Amino acid sequence: MTAAAINRLGFVVVALLTLTAPWFLPLLVDSFWVDIYAEMLIWSLLAASVNLLFGYVGLLSFGQALFFGMGMYGVAIGVAKLGLGFWPAFGLGVVMATAMALVAGALAVRLTWHYFAIITVVFSLIFYFAALSWKPLTGGDDGLSFTMPPIVSIGEWELSLTDPTVQYYFIIAIVGICYALMGVILKSPLGSAFRAVKENDHRAALIGLNVYLIRLTAFVIAGFIAGVAGALFAFFGRYASASYMFYHVSGEAVVWAIIGGAGTLLGPIVGTSLLIILREELSHAWEHYLILVGVIVILVVIFAPKGLGGLWQALVRRIARPETPPPSTDAKGEDKP
Amino acid sequence: MELVIALGMNGIVWGLIIALIALGLSIIFGLLDIINIAHGDFFMVGTVLAWFVFDTTGNYWLAFAIVPILGFAIGAVIEYTVIQPIKNAAALSIVATFGLSIILQESVRATFGATPARLTAPIEETVPLFGLEYEVYRLFAALLSIAAIGCFFLFLHRTKLGTWMRAVRFDPETATAMGIPARRVYMVTFAIGFAMASLGGVVAGPITTVDFQAGVDILPFCFMAVIIGGLGNLEGTVAAAVMLAFFEGVMASFVDPTLARIGSLCLMSAVLLVRPHGIFSGSTR
Repeated sequence: MTAAAINRLGFVVVALLTLTAPWFLPLLVDSFWVDIYAEMLIWSLLAASVNLLFGYVGLLSFGQALFFGMGMYGVAIGVAKLGLGFWPAFGLGVVMATAMALVAGALAVRLTWHYFAIITVVFSLIFYFAALSWKPLTGGDDGLSFTMPPIVSIGEWELSLTDPTVQYYFIIAIVGICYALMGVILKSPLGSAFRAVKENDHRAALIGLNVYLIRLTAFVIAGFIAGVAGALFAFFGRYASASYMFYHVSGEAVVWAIIGGAGTLLGPIVGTSLLIILREELSHAWEHYLILVGVIVILVVIFAPKGLGGLWQALVRRIARPETPPPSTDAKGEDKP
Repeated sequence: MELVIALGMNGIVWGLIIALIALGLSIIFGLLDIINIAHGDFFMVGTVLAWFVFDTTGNYWLAFAIVPILGFAIGAVIEYTVIQPIKNAAALSIVATFGLSIILQESVRATFGATPARLTAPIEETVPLFGLEYEVYRLFAALLSIAAIGCFFLFLHRTKLGTWMRAVRFDPETATAMGIPARRVYMVTFAIGFAMASLGGVVAGPITTVDFQAGVDILPFCFMAVIIGGLGNLEGTVAAAVMLAFFEGVMASFVDPTLARIGSLCLMSAVLLVRPHGIFSGSTR
């Protein structure tokens, strides 16, 4: 099999497992793992938004929690304060996050590297403290909880996330759409422009690309993805809280993305899953399991600097048949990750 | 008016302590290209070690001598085990030091506990100053921070090791070719960074609370001082830290502390956007 075929096969297997998880997870382990798997997928979107910026455009954002929080508060305020239905509240969360990303991005992408990382932290801290102090609207530290509105209701019959199976399939549908969207964007000319800017922004500018606009576009898309994640998480937990906007949440997303393998589309899912499974498994065994999590994070970085996605690709290359016969003159070309 | 003076002076004292911590961050950042997410926790470890020293000996003054030495040793071990294998990879350093931060926080929670504690200052007198009774310990903390910062600059510019550090930073390859043991210089730099943060912890211990999460709050502030002062501009870092803390202190006497924090963050983003290379970068450079 070629490397591409193995990757395709792996993708199909994971997709099938994801679709059938509500049946086999309760049989194999416990039904609460279905919820945890859904939670992993939501968080993986936040890591994916970091990955989109860092892995494809070369901008390290430490403030993605801001857009996650906007998505959460959009939903919670929409339902609890404005009395909106399910879809308008969902829309409000995503629109708030995307609008915030447009405003913050218009300023932030003028800077790069360390400066960009710092300004994204500063922006997210400003709104974190604002959310903490604006108690009547946000509930501050205690957060804002709400009762779940139905997705659709026709007469007596209604479909609502209070049904765990509906909730699971709703979450994987939305998460799946987001990943498909990112896949399409990254394959499009815009995706090539992202990579060109990441490789060398001067050259990208010289061949006529508008570097500022490309970075801003990426930032807004990433903000949208993080906003969807936040809105989903608000529905999942039925509440919003300022603590999810703190920079530590953004930092965790960066860690998940890099552990999973920056610059691979599905790496964030791998990284997020690994760390959440570790949390769930180890926390029962040892109260101070976080020490072990820290050790594992450091070991992964030292021994697999390209992340778990990179390990997987190396493994695939080793067992795969080469796609084209290697050229006789060149000994070994640089393999594409 | 008295409140403005008191909070403004508290701001300056706090700014000097932050400057001490941020200098450690700045040399680690500048010399090793390590974005040290765990630096706030180095400070926190300092306060906790000081608490343990006080708890066992009953003498807080001992902490000023013991804790920086312990910090230096811990820093050297961390550099050898965690930092050396990922040298020259700033993005990886974020993840590795994030792991380190988790380990440090959780270790402290396992040994010291999750409940914050308060340390009493070794000097409890107050003196009349600008029409108010000001705590002598805070003045002492300011003076000690200034002295430590001064010693650090003397070390950097007047000793062989300090010259080596500047040389390795300027051009590691040439420095190695001239016979400077660059690897050892990296280790010492990281260890000094940890020692300075932990000394900051000892100094700040009686002013703040001893808490395993204390580093999380202080970290963004230190990074901002480093960036606003201008990357690699150590004097700029000191000035930026003091100015930011003073500004926030004065603001806090008019509005509530959270709003003051928002105000100083807005000021910082404005500075970053207008002068991304620091407020002290000349137009000629």
